[in-house]
Amino acid sequence: MTAQVPDLIRSGMPAACAGRFVLDGGAWRDMVENLRHSTLPLLGLWSDGVQIHALFMEGTCPLLASVAVMDGRYLALSPVRAGAAAYERITQDLWGIEGMGATDSAPWLDQGRWPVTWPLHDRPPPAPAPPEGVEFTDDAAMVQAGGTVVGYGPAEGDFHSPFHLRLGLPGERIMQVRTRMGYAHRGLCARMRGATVAQAARLVARIDATATVAHQVAFARALGAAGEQAGADMDDAAMFVGELERIAIHLDTLATAADLLADGRFAILAATLLERVRQACRDGCGSRLLFDVLPPAGDTGRAVSIPMEILTELRTGCATLRRLFWRPRGMAMQARGRGILSADAARRWGIAGCVGRASGAEGDLRAYVSRSAGHEGMGGDVADRLAMRLQEVETAVGILSTFDGAAVSVPAGHGAHGSGEGVGCVEGPTGPVWHWVRVEHGRVAAWWCGDASLLLFQALPGILSGAVYEDVPLILTSLGLSAAGADL
Amino acid sequence: MAYLNLFWPDGAVLPRMVPLDIFHMETGGCAGCAIELRSLSRVLVEGHSDIRFVSTPRQAGLLLVTGSLTVDMAPVVELAWQAMPGARLLAAVGDCAVDGGVFTPGYAVLGGVGGRARASLLLPGCPPSPAEILDALIRWRTQGEGKAT
Repeated sequence: MTAQVPDLIRSGMPAACAGRFVLDGGAWRDMVENLRHSTLPLLGLWSDGVQIHALFMEGTCPLLASVAVMDGRYLALSPVRAGAAAYERITQDLWGIEGMGATDSAPWLDQGRWPVTWPLHDRPPPAPAPPEGVEFTDDAAMVQAGGTVVGYGPAEGDFHSPFHLRLGLPGERIMQVRTRMGYAHRGLCARMRGATVAQAARLVARIDATATVAHQVAFARALGAAGEQAGADMDDAAMFVGELERIAIHLDTLATAADLLADGRFAILAATLLERVRQACRDGCGSRLLFDVLPPAGDTGRAVSIPMEILTELRTGCATLRRLFWRPRGMAMQARGRGILSADAARRWGIAGCVGRASGAEGDLRAYVSRSAGHEGMGGDVADRLAMRLQEVETAVGILSTFDGAAVSVPAGHGAHGSGEGVGCVEGPTGPVWHWVRVEHGRVAAWWCGDASLLLFQALPGILSGAVYEDVPLILTSLGLSAAGADL
Repeated sequence: MAYLNLFWPDGAVLPRMVPLDIFHMETGGCAGCAIELRSLSRVLVEGHSDIRFVSTPRQAGLLLVTGSLTVDMAPVVELAWQAMPGARLLAAVGDCAVDGGVFTPGYAVLGGVGGRARASLLLPGCPPSPAEILDALIRWRTQGEGKAT
């Protein structure tokens, strides 16, 4: 049955974008019905106002199905793909397009404070007066159990994008989790429409600082698929800078987790290595956080490099980190059994990337990484996720070492842009990052992107239930959640 | 804080003594400035500095904002500001917080907090490095921190 859905999608009318097929209403309904018996993972669902697009991953190959929106409605995918629920609610918030049969229709981004309703709609209706307070509906079980309700975020004095969790604690353990998003929504889709490719690329680099290179590469690949030159001939540079970002983000996560677990030796070493990498990024790539490194936003025709002594230091440091991590009463022992994301839950929500791999759900868009890398345990808890990140740092250092310290040239972007449509996917530090773009006469006509965070936010109730409140920051850190990437 | 009138003339502003307690808020940017602040906070903790990042505005003397101000975060910033005790100051770090940066005002974004409120410290950059932030904080402190509101 699994193979039927891709065939069904390909039976649709091919669109301008490679791998995208436009289905009629009946074929879309058949696709939804067949998805019930298929394991084809859904990566994203969005609209351009005229059609609804669903992005599936067939191995490492993107496959898009589109259907025309009829009377502001389409048949929802959330009954057969749990991860589609947030995308449907976002589409409802931004476009006013309703998913028929959706599992949940409550607003996801719109908290009632925007000056317009459905801001991307052709004729957005005026918004009612903003609500005076926030209302949450608790489960019957939670009401019956009573106890305390504790809020987490949006301002905790820590250093991540804002979101709010409402945690129900009838006793010591968390029983109910409600997420409230939209605090980091900047209206990126509205900003992208009409922007030149260069302007759009500058925005893309600033969607989410924890995956800026992944967003830059995915956008450049989408442009490349759309017939632009920006995405061509940059595989080496994309791999080089992408692995550099992976090292930095994983080290940052590990250092933060070590701080939370009060492992001072691990935290100091990880933070020191991180700072060395950031300084090397500044010296060798021009930006500590690797903003605007790749075309079309980056400097034209520059070269990126990292000194071999930094890689040697990283290799030695990783060996020490590994020893500290697995030592008796080390981080691995402390974090064991906390914040479990089972393999079944990961597949149910469509979670891939390093978080999914730590749960045992296979999937990596990087063709240059072997799958045979061994890892101790795949229970999907905090210890596994941190171990997976540490392992990926070591792998990335090995990949960067193959360049022997040589500078990698970044191809120059060019000013002339035509028309086209394309999709680009890349493996970011936390999970897959994808961009879809339609360019008309050098300007972005329609755009959408996604990363792993939105799926992770939806899976949070399952991950956090049963945890104690004190573990929440540690679990969130190990997941690498980014509200900036989820809210757009 | 009415009891302070027993010891100080009415309306006098108490100079805030060391340490400097900072409450950081990311108000809806890419979180790049927040990442650099995290690096800075590690350095401050390791160096036993008297500049500290605290986890509640009730302990803070300086509200440090990064990122563009989204519509949904505006009331949260206001609540945090009202929760700060006594003399309090506002700092905007990064291009987005200073003037909106790439995130110009739109249906979901109000722009930079630096353009909408009187900030004591404005530090542009996309993002400013931890060394630049620390340098700006120390320089601003030595130049006269007592102008609290």
